[in-house]
Amino acid sequence: MTNPSEPGPGLEGGANGGIQPGRYYGRGIPYLPIEGYPGKLIAFEGTDGVGRTTQIQLLREWLEVKGYGVVETGWTRSPLMQPTIELAKSSNTLNKLTFVLLYATDFADRLEKEIVPALKAGFVVLSDRYIFTAMARAGVRGIDRPWLRSLYGFAIAPHLVFYLNIDVKTLIGRVLEARGMDFWESGMDLKSGDDIYDSFRAYQSKLLREYSSMADEFHFRVVDARRPVDKIQDELRKQVAAFLEPVEKPVEATAAP
Amino acid sequence: MTFSLLHATDFADRLLYKIIPPLKAGMIVLADRYAYTAFARDVTRGVDRQWVRDLYSFAVRPDLTLYFRVPIDVSLDRLLARRVKLKFYEAGMDLGWSANPVESFRMFQGKVLGEYDRLVEEFGLEVIDAAPSITVQQRLVRTLVTKHVETSHVEAVDDEPL
Repeated sequence: MTNPSEPGPGLEGGANGGIQPGRYYGRGIPYLPIEGYPGKLIAFEGTDGVGRTTQIQLLREWLEVKGYGVVETGWTRSPLMQPTIELAKSSNTLNKLTFVLLYATDFADRLEKEIVPALKAGFVVLSDRYIFTAMARAGVRGIDRPWLRSLYGFAIAPHLVFYLNIDVKTLIGRVLEARGMDFWESGMDLKSGDDIYDSFRAYQSKLLREYSSMADEFHFRVVDARRPVDKIQDELRKQVAAFLEPVEKPVEATAAP
Repeated sequence: MTFSLLHATDFADRLLYKIIPPLKAGMIVLADRYAYTAFARDVTRGVDRQWVRDLYSFAVRPDLTLYFRVPIDVSLDRLLARRVKLKFYEAGMDLGWSANPVESFRMFQGKVLGEYDRLVEEFGLEVIDAAPSITVQQRLVRTLVTKHVETSHVEAVDDEPL
């Protein structure tokens, strides 16, 4: 039980709604204070093949031209955990609970080593996926949702969360054109059938439902990802600019071509 | 934080492969350290007390938990008699409290023991005084285990001193 003399956070792990950006969602990391850091954290969420990475590349260049320091972080990119996660994926011996914890470990490592130092130094941190992908994938696999929210209570609430929304039909077309369907993105580990197309369709539909069920709770800014790349980028830039430079917003409409 | 989650991952893997199957088969599982070690160690390293309890809520609650309590000086003597150097993490050297391993061990393990005392209350751990001889401790262990386990198949306890 928590010692009442300790200044613990006021919110229980389960109640994530209404958390101020830049603060911990839940009980946080007691030894790592983060309040008042000048950096901004912007998360990009959306399922596999929706175009997150492309949008982040474009946004990064644009922000850098405008003079912002930008740091990117992405799911399973922790140098400590990436080899282990790849090994676990290839050997197919890991239970889904163990997988969830491996992903959380990777995230904790990046949070402490990349995200928090960058926020402290005033960078704009662009996160290619954030905790919501992990929660959606785990939720689809039957992991207890309140437990997941408590687990990720050490995550920082981003200043902006963009959710690139797509329908499964458009997604299928895009993924087949780009690189084909992959074992994990098709949820083949759920063993709902041997047909990768059927499995992809069923799994991604469930994932999309899981994401949209989180949209209100975590204040997603929903972006229609079925549009062309440059249209989506325009919308992202407008919203990011309005957030980073709120005073300049009205000027933008009359800017020279 | 990463340290804590890495251990939880390892624990989950062992729980699902090595602990739950034998329990289902009706076997007795002896676990050398359990989630309580994580509670004591991680909180000492600065992880939130309630968060780590919630994290391990997927663990099976043991039927019996024995806590071998020992004063720091005794554990230091035992460790130093067995090997030349204290282990880096065992001495909490990662926390940077002291450059002297023995000093750091005292500070770190002192806090760990404080956390264990809290766990004794919270989870009803059975405390065994680990300062006396192995024989004395083992007798006590057998007495405690007998209360929880069907003893008709178990061999009689040896009464002769070693």
